[in-house]
Amino acid sequence: MLTVTNLIKTYGKQNAVDDITFELQGGEVVGLLGPNGAGKSTTMKCIVGLLRKTSGEITLGGYDHLTVEAKRLFSYIPETPYVYDLLTVREHLQFIAQAYNVVNWKKKGDDLMELFELNDKAEKLGRDLSKGMRQKVSICCALLPDPQVLFFDEPMIGLDPKAIKNTRQVFKELKNQGKTILVSTHLIDSVESIADRIMILKDGRIIGNDSISNLKMQAEQGAGVSLEDLFLELTKDA
Amino acid sequence: MREIKLLLRKDLLILLNNLKLILKNPLRLFPYAAIIGYFFFMYWLRLGNTDESGTPEIPELDTNGLPEVDFPVQNIVGGVTMLALIFLIYQLYRATKKNVSFFKMADVNLLFTAPVKPENLLIYYMGRSILPSLGGAALFTFYGISQSADKLDLGFGNLFFTVLAVGFFFFLIQPIRFLVYTLHTKFGILEYIKIGIIIFAILLGGMILIPGLMAEKFWQGMFSWIASPWFDLFPIVGWSRGIMSYWSHENWILSSAFVGLYCLFYFVVLKLVIQFSGYYYEDVLEVTKSNEEKLEKVRGKKEQSEANFSLNTKKKLALPDFGPGAKAFYWRNYIHASRQDFHPLFGVYSLILAGLGILFAILSLFDWFSHTVIYGYLLILIIIYFLAGTGRANIGDLKKPFFYLVPASWGAKFWNMIKLDLVQLLIFCTVLIVPTVLIAGLDWLVIPSFLIGILAFYLTGLGINMIPQIGLDEGWDRVLIKPLMIGGILLFGLIPAGIASIIAFAVSKQFVWALLTLSVGMTFVALILVHVTLDILKRLEFKEL
Repeated sequence: MLTVTNLIKTYGKQNAVDDITFELQGGEVVGLLGPNGAGKSTTMKCIVGLLRKTSGEITLGGYDHLTVEAKRLFSYIPETPYVYDLLTVREHLQFIAQAYNVVNWKKKGDDLMELFELNDKAEKLGRDLSKGMRQKVSICCALLPDPQVLFFDEPMIGLDPKAIKNTRQVFKELKNQGKTILVSTHLIDSVESIADRIMILKDGRIIGNDSISNLKMQAEQGAGVSLEDLFLELTKDA
Repeated sequence: MREIKLLLRKDLLILLNNLKLILKNPLRLFPYAAIIGYFFFMYWLRLGNTDESGTPEIPELDTNGLPEVDFPVQNIVGGVTMLALIFLIYQLYRATKKNVSFFKMADVNLLFTAPVKPENLLIYYMGRSILPSLGGAALFTFYGISQSADKLDLGFGNLFFTVLAVGFFFFLIQPIRFLVYTLHTKFGILEYIKIGIIIFAILLGGMILIPGLMAEKFWQGMFSWIASPWFDLFPIVGWSRGIMSYWSHENWILSSAFVGLYCLFYFVVLKLVIQFSGYYYEDVLEVTKSNEEKLEKVRGKKEQSEANFSLNTKKKLALPDFGPGAKAFYWRNYIHASRQDFHPLFGVYSLILAGLGILFAILSLFDWFSHTVIYGYLLILIIIYFLAGTGRANIGDLKKPFFYLVPASWGAKFWNMIKLDLVQLLIFCTVLIVPTVLIAGLDWLVIPSFLIGILAFYLTGLGINMIPQIGLDEGWDRVLIKPLMIGGILLFGLIPAGIASIIAFAVSKQFVWALLTLSVGMTFVALILVHVTLDILKRLEFKEL
């Protein structure tokens, strides 16, 4: 579903993403882990077209990632949830429904607002929402078009415990529906239970890309080792 | 064009929500009503005094039978044209540093990743940006003209073409800046563009210097080229002037032709932007985020970074310690200033401002300018530093917990917090005033009077801002009491010092005595405010200021 080939993104002389290649199969859930400044967000922003790739190739469902056809296939949940100050929560959903040409969006919009406890905020303006609420609106907007691929960039930041639990539940449901998900996060345990595969980035390069069990074997760690221990082992400085 | 419809619907919803907000709280309209009321009042006042007895003046003829040059009019037209040209060049130069953005972060997150064509978003948002330009131009025009409504013909055509001229000028600058940045990201020709802009600036400078030097007196000739009618054909600045020339000829076809030139130019710029911008999302990402942060700062959600406007952020420094305790604050400010400018004590901005004063002095030496220009410049600098003082407490040490934790007396902390400002101020003012006085042959007493005066005004400004922030706990108290306090300082400090200064001028007919009187008067005000500040500084606690 997603193919990234020899992706390089440079800022000046520094390679923020350094020649990485990977694939996501349809229905796969992949966790993108890495320390601060590893290139996770840059990689994701290059894929969704917010940043210009220096070189390499990215395709989604066989289309170049910058085409309108490719964009119909995915949604992106950014780390910082910016919303329109003077649109209500419901109007945000209406706007997204028009942008993605979603018909009969109202029922789905109501369901999403209920799931994320936004029903009573439906008529609230964006400017009156807290950061957590904005993040919920952002997630609802991403889920409304029912995309094939979802890119989550640190989706749990700013959410309350219940919303974190709901988001995890959403991940599971999306996985069951066969959606492809790439989720970048610092909260390792949030992907441990649902990720089919983990990609670990460091200094713009992929240093681990396999299932959790295989990664543990590669790192010669014992059976009782957590993903967190494994992550720290792989990303420690030599 | 699905995107245009989508965006239009979104903006209509936003407009509707705005109207609902106004209906919920009609008091929001009060400032706007006050502005409109002010305009009505001014027009009513001025139009009541309209002098209708005047007959069209016949221009004086010289010995050759040609009309004599009206130098005041030429200099006003030329001066305004020159300011517009400086603004244009500055904006073009800024385009090589930083892009402009027509978007909000919500567009970035919700629209840029949606299945829409980037060029259609750009067409819509770029076109829409004419609305604030025209709105601002209308406000600017009505405000500006209200001051001399009794002397001007306020017909529809005059007002309409003036709004268009000002609005188009400010509107077109943004797409041009976007185009410059686009060409840079597409072809990497930033250096060539920069050189081009510098050459352009030099040529325009030559258009002022050459006729000035050719004339009998510099000031009589300096604007003879850029104020002449053929300069109306000069892109953007000239076109705006051409549109506004409706005031003199009342030929709407001629003014409309200049509007047509603007429209054609916008079409060409738009085509070029669409042609070269391609997938421009990354180009606007940083500046959109920065605009959003500024907006949040205005709304009071976020502090403005101290790193803003820094010229030298990548400078590597290895400064020794200045000493223990409160001296650490002086050291911190010194480091900060080192990164903000090319030298912590005397930077490029100081150099420009001092150079300007010295330039005026040289020009007055050759009888190109009178001393009044220098005096005016000195007074403007005093006002600027007064305002800088009122803004000083908004950023910096007071917002950091270290200011409270460092084991030193409050007085020492306060002194070290402002020490660098005072040192910078004194060095800058000395570099400015000593050569200026010597070159222009001013009274030597201007030197100490200016130095004392500018220090006193700076400290007064600092006190005005700091005292309510430290002394008053609640935000509303501050809002209510600060104007009262400023009013008190004005009434019992600035106004008496100002009146004494005017009296000194009236008696002596010399600027130096007026400045000295003003400086001495303001020194008393400053000393009282510093005393009060130090007294209440003990009460300081860490809070959002």
